[in-house]
Amino acid sequence: MYKVMIIDDEKSIRNLLKVVIKWEEYNSYVAGEAQSGIEAINIIDDIQPDIVFVDIRMPFMDGIEFSKIAMKRYPKLKIIILTAYNDFEYARECIGIGISDYMLKPIVKADIQENLATLVKELDARPIPDIKKDNVEEEQGNPHIMNIKNYIQENYNNSQMNLTAIAQYFNFNPSYLSRMFKAEAGISMIDYITKIRMEKAIECAKEGVLMYKTAKMVGIPDPNYFGKCFKKYTDYGYTDYVKNVRRE
Amino acid sequence: MKGMWGMKKKWHDFKQWISSRKLNQKVKYLFLIIISLYVIVFLLMYAFVIRKNMFAYMMTSNLNTMVSIGSNLNGELNNISKTSQLIMGDSNVRNFLKCSVTEKENYAPQVLMLIRNIMTNLQDASSIYLIRDDGNYMDASNSITYFEPKYLKDTAWIADINEKRGGYIIKVNGGGAFEYYDGRPMISMMRAVYDIDTQERIGILIINLSQEILNNTLQDVLDNGRSYAYYDEEGHLLSKGEALKEIEETPITHEDYEQISVGGMFKEKVISYYHVPSTPLRIAGIESISLTKFISKDILGFVLILILLTFLSLSILGIFITHYITTPIQRLVWSMSSVKSGWLRRASLKTSNDEIGELKDSYNKMLIELNRLIDELVENEKQTHRAEIDILQEQIKPHFLYNTLDTIAYLSLEKEKEEVYNAIETLGSFYRKFLSKGSKQITLEEEIAIVKDYCKLQKLRYGDIFEDMYDIDKALLQIKVPKLILQPLVENSLYHGIRLKGEEGIVKITAYRTESHLHIVVYDSGIGMDTTKIEELMNENNSKSFGLKGIIKRIRYYYGVEDVYEIRSEEGVYNEIDLKLPLIGGNHV
Repeated sequence: MYKVMIIDDEKSIRNLLKVVIKWEEYNSYVAGEAQSGIEAINIIDDIQPDIVFVDIRMPFMDGIEFSKIAMKRYPKLKIIILTAYNDFEYARECIGIGISDYMLKPIVKADIQENLATLVKELDARPIPDIKKDNVEEEQGNPHIMNIKNYIQENYNNSQMNLTAIAQYFNFNPSYLSRMFKAEAGISMIDYITKIRMEKAIECAKEGVLMYKTAKMVGIPDPNYFGKCFKKYTDYGYTDYVKNVRRE
Repeated sequence: MKGMWGMKKKWHDFKQWISSRKLNQKVKYLFLIIISLYVIVFLLMYAFVIRKNMFAYMMTSNLNTMVSIGSNLNGELNNISKTSQLIMGDSNVRNFLKCSVTEKENYAPQVLMLIRNIMTNLQDASSIYLIRDDGNYMDASNSITYFEPKYLKDTAWIADINEKRGGYIIKVNGGGAFEYYDGRPMISMMRAVYDIDTQERIGILIINLSQEILNNTLQDVLDNGRSYAYYDEEGHLLSKGEALKEIEETPITHEDYEQISVGGMFKEKVISYYHVPSTPLRIAGIESISLTKFISKDILGFVLILILLTFLSLSILGIFITHYITTPIQRLVWSMSSVKSGWLRRASLKTSNDEIGELKDSYNKMLIELNRLIDELVENEKQTHRAEIDILQEQIKPHFLYNTLDTIAYLSLEKEKEEVYNAIETLGSFYRKFLSKGSKQITLEEEIAIVKDYCKLQKLRYGDIFEDMYDIDKALLQIKVPKLILQPLVENSLYHGIRLKGEEGIVKITAYRTESHLHIVVYDSGIGMDTTKIEELMNENNSKSFGLKGIIKRIRYYYGVEDVYEIRSEEGVYNEIDLKLPLIGGNHV
């Protein structure tokens, strides 16, 4: 089954796609969704999608910027732009960065399914990944986890930073690095990045910094997604946290 | 009164006529007037000053001349009288007159000898008559003369002679008693002869003088421009030469002295009459008035040069005015006249660096300014239209419709029918108001309704990330405002304020009025802006903010005022756009 990720700032559209398309008929399923490019960058390594549906007009990081980064980091990724803007400039730019398809809203089920079928066929035609390759990669030697931790601590405010970006920076295979990191540090790298960011965020919260500013400072400039992360990490909403800190 | 009014109207018409002349015509008329004034002043001067002085001078000089002629004549006559006394003193003559008729022949030869001698001595005498009281007479003459003895019996004639008691009287042709055969006039000196012893009148002595005696007295005074002649009391010419036409036309008066002017201006002549004392003779003189006689030729030349110089300077002045004023102005007018036909073209002629040059420059500057204003106006109009089109495109924005449709599609699959119906109804309502009529202005109520529908639809799309609130004075709802000035601001509040904050926010629209303005305030509790960002936003070249800028531009154009908005903001707390719409004309509630 191929994994599909949907990135759109409108929840109803994400839901509509999930409901309307008969994913299983195309040997695929919706493995994850994000309401902004920022969120997508943060969770894409967890989801590891094969196909991404992405809207163009989104705050903080638009669909085109996301696609540029994604194509660089995940060259095999199939990206379908789904937008209400029938704009020649957008289309031209998309072709330039290797976008698989450019589709217009409102959503027409048949068109999407037709494209999906094509993409699945292309994916099917891919050679099966070589198991041995992983063994070869293991010979890459031990990564210096301390260096990576330092790197994360220094670059936590870079909103484009994620597992794959770090792996590419240190010249490791992402999944290998992920395994190694977890083994060494006892925490997944994604969680570690979030932890560093949240610790900084707590510091900001204690100083009473507004949420959207803190979000920007800690490298998650989408305050909605930042709010989610913060709540997950501290069990409190950011604003409530600030209030509580004030009260004490 | 009516006459006065008529005068005034004529004067008014005249002024109108003058002011409607072209400039060069005005200059021509001015010159004409100046020249006419010159001539008139000159003539007046001549008529009232020079001529008067000339008259006075001429009168004196004429009188003097004629008095001297008269006294010359009287001198001559006295001389002749003295000579005639030689005759009267002669004893033969007295005897001839006293004796009886029979005896008179005894004295005749001696007497005749005497008077003939006297005749030869008196150059001008033409005949001498010695007349006895009984009517017998003796005469000597050098030309044929007729005597009419009947006058001897004429008591009046005799009495005139007796009256002088031996002194002479002068009569023309002896008072009619004598006549030349050829009709020439003669001057007769007649006197009574008395006896020395008895003192009784014994006879009459008459010496007839030819006109030569008159002519001789005139000889000295004849010169150019004036001439004199003798006339008798009846106006007959006595002296030789041609009669003067003007004198014959003028009746001779009995005054001792008189001057009359005849003829027109510049051809004027002065006629003078003078009565020679103790004679019946009149001297008539005629003299033509001549400037040169009165004013020296040098002075006349000087005056002429002065006049010439004046005309010369007038001409130079005229040329100057024409060259430096009227012609450039005419050319300027010609060059400017293209504006009439709608071409705002600059005057491109060459002008000197004077007031006319300045006029041209300011005219050109004015044209440039005018062209600039027109361009600005056209540009304004274009921009307004563009802003309107932009805003319509931005608003109708199919993407909003498409996205909303997808949202509704999802609702139809997952939610209650009621909710789907409400969503479709709201979408319909929104677009109906939004696209309505295409008129440029709508009521505040309709504008608010559009915003309410918009907010409803956006909440469907993004969930309850914001709350919309309204605080609007109901009395203001019917005020007309430019269309679509609120919805784009609310959209900005959502996308650039609230959504970027990551927290639930508030959009609040407040409308209230002051004395002169309707305020519509769009408030949002989004991330706000700092001052640099506000400045950046309103920067001319910032294409991002065309929503707000387009609205501002449309409002400014609609009301014709610059100060139509205010932005208040605190970073991270709120943003507020305050539209200040002037309450104009029919917009009052």
